[in-house]
This record gives sequence, C-alpha cells and structure tokens, in this order.
Amino acid sequence: MMAQRSAGQGDQRGIRTVPYDLVRELAIAAAVSLVLILALAVAFSSPDVPSVTIQSWSKSDPVDFVTTANDELAGASATANYGPPYNNGSNAVQSIGPVSPQAWGGVHATVDQPHDFVINPLKQAAGNDSKLGDDVNVYESASAGQRAKWHDAYADALQKATVDGSQLTVATGDYGPVPEMLNRLLQLAQTGALDGLLISSNHFYQTDYTKPLLFMNDGGYLAGLAGDQHLTGSQWGMMNETGLYPGQTWLWLYTLWYQLPPFNTAWASVTDLLVVLMMVVLTLLLALVPFVPGLRDIPRWIPVYRLIWRRYYREA
Amino acid sequence: MDQPAGYLHAGFILISWPNLFLIGIMLVIFALALLLPFPGHAADDQTEKKS
Repeated sequence: MMAQRSAGQGDQRGIRTVPYDLVRELAIAAAVSLVLILALAVAFSSPDVPSVTIQSWSKSDPVDFVTTANDELAGASATANYGPPYNNGSNAVQSIGPVSPQAWGGVHATVDQPHDFVINPLKQAAGNDSKLGDDVNVYESASAGQRAKWHDAYADALQKATVDGSQLTVATGDYGPVPEMLNRLLQLAQTGALDGLLISSNHFYQTDYTKPLLFMNDGGYLAGLAGDQHLTGSQWGMMNETGLYPGQTWLWLYTLWYQLPPFNTAWASVTDLLVVLMMVVLTLLLALVPFVPGLRDIPRWIPVYRLIWRRYYREA
Repeated sequence: MDQPAGYLHAGFILISWPNLFLIGIMLVIFALALLLPFPGHAADDQTEKKS
C-alpha cells in the first residue's frame, strides 16, 4: 500500500523507508500474465494427444492385450500382487521400519482383477452368447491347478502368436476354454465395449478410471508409449509434457531423487516413500529457515538484497 | 507442436529443450527484475527534488 505521506524515501523511527504501491504492481502483473496466457493459448493451443484406451491398446497390440488378460486370470500381473489399496498383495508396499503409510491406509478400493477385468465383462457379454457362457462356466468349475496349467501353456503359446488384422493366431494346445474367452474379450475391447464396462459404477458420472488404468498398466503397451514420450519416472517424467510443450519444470526437485543412487539402486524398492520423506524434511527446513543457523545466514553471504535496494545502499 | 521434443542428455540429467528454454526465460526475467530500476522511482526522485 502507498504510505500515508508524500512519495519518495522517508524516515520512520530511524529506519529509511521507500513507498511502494503493491496493489498496483499485483494488478499490472495479473493483467500482463492474462494477456500473455491468452496470446500463447491462441498461438500454441494446448497438448492434445489422444487418450490411450483399452480399445486403442487392443487394436494396436492385440498380443500384449491378450497376454495381459491371461496374466490377470492367472494372478500373475502386477495388479494381482500390488497390495493396498487394491488387494492384500505385498509387491508394491513400501515400508521403512514401522513407517508404512500404504499399509496403514488398508485395502479400501478393492480390485479383484480376474473378475473385474475379464470374467465379469464376459458374463455380461454372455447374455446373448450361450457358447461364451458355457466357456466361462467350464473355466470357473475347473480346479485351480488345471486353470494354472491352461494359463501357463497359453502364455508360452502367446509368445509365438501371430496377428492377422485384428485376429490372433496361436498354436494349438491344451488351453481349455481360455483362448475362446480371451478372443471374445479381445473383440469386446476392440469395439470399445470393455472401456465402458470397466468404468461402470453406481455413480451418476462415470469418472473412475482406476480399473482400465490398472489393466493397461499391467501390459507393456502403455509403458512403451510413456517411455517414447519421456514420461516415466526414470526419465524425469514428472517434469515432461507431450509434444513440444514445456512441462511441469517446478517438479524438478521431486523427480531429481529418482535419478540418483542410492534412490534408484539400493533403495529402489522404497523410493517413493523415501522421496516423500525427503520432501517433508526439505519443506520443514524451508519453513524454519529463520531458525536454522547457517541457512538463515545465506542472504548475508550472498547479498542479493543489496542489488535490489542498491540505491539505498549507495546513498547510505 | 505435437511433434516429439528433443532432449538434452548429460549424465543423469535428461531435460527437454522446451523445458530448458522455459527455465532460461525464467532466469532472464529474474535477472531483469533484479537489475531494472523500480518503476516510478525516477518520478519519485523528481518530486523529491522539487519539494
């Protein structure tokens, strides 16, 4: 605010002061920012990479899609063994001593990947397809050991699968009803129906993409796209944006730790938790700068303020 | 703008040219904010001298 006196330097209780209209500065800065934002938006628009969906995945890489679906049924996917908040697995749970926030949160967004990703969508499609209904019944009534044999054999065969258009060709073998079920799932996926089935919920707005994202993340297609666009954790991905657009450069300090040993080597299994704790410590240090000897002396060692108020110090 | 960006790779640092360009602009604006005189100070000086 403008001081209640004439413009120019003054003297208050022995301390020289300079009047400054902060409101005017903020107003000008906001106006200039608005003009710049509008002009840049008109000139460059915004990133507009098409969304990756189950449909685009199954069309672009049907072998990866079917292999992943087979893993989901076999309980061999990353989601199957993830842990909280989706299930009781432990592969993704990060703990340092007694500190394990992920476990503290518990399982509160249950994902039953064989049923949620494969069997339930097939049962819904089986309403008009009695053969598919029979296949699902045969699969569900088989023993766990028998199903595991089918999945292992089919996973091996899929490594040599060929694609003709949208059709998958796999060497004949003893796979039980698995190929018929997964071929039908592939058809559902390629028409876009599976996208809709995976985000269906009891809410009015269907905005919960947890299941399709987990399903896609279990395959190699999404990770490949992310790697191509430098969006993965080991590529400073947090900072990057698609296309030629600049990204979130202010996240450099968060993603920096993921690039450095031992965070990405010996401590890789708990990196996320370590980075969170590291940023908590650094944020506390920033908040407590006035009380931390050494840190609070930096302005005296690097007197940038003398450059800002150079006229004052020239005259003083 | 949807073309893939180029990246500078030096040791563990991997940064896109658009990000580097943006950081450069921010540094230039910071330097200008330090070096350019406060707007209105010249006018204040004139007022002070007249009074």
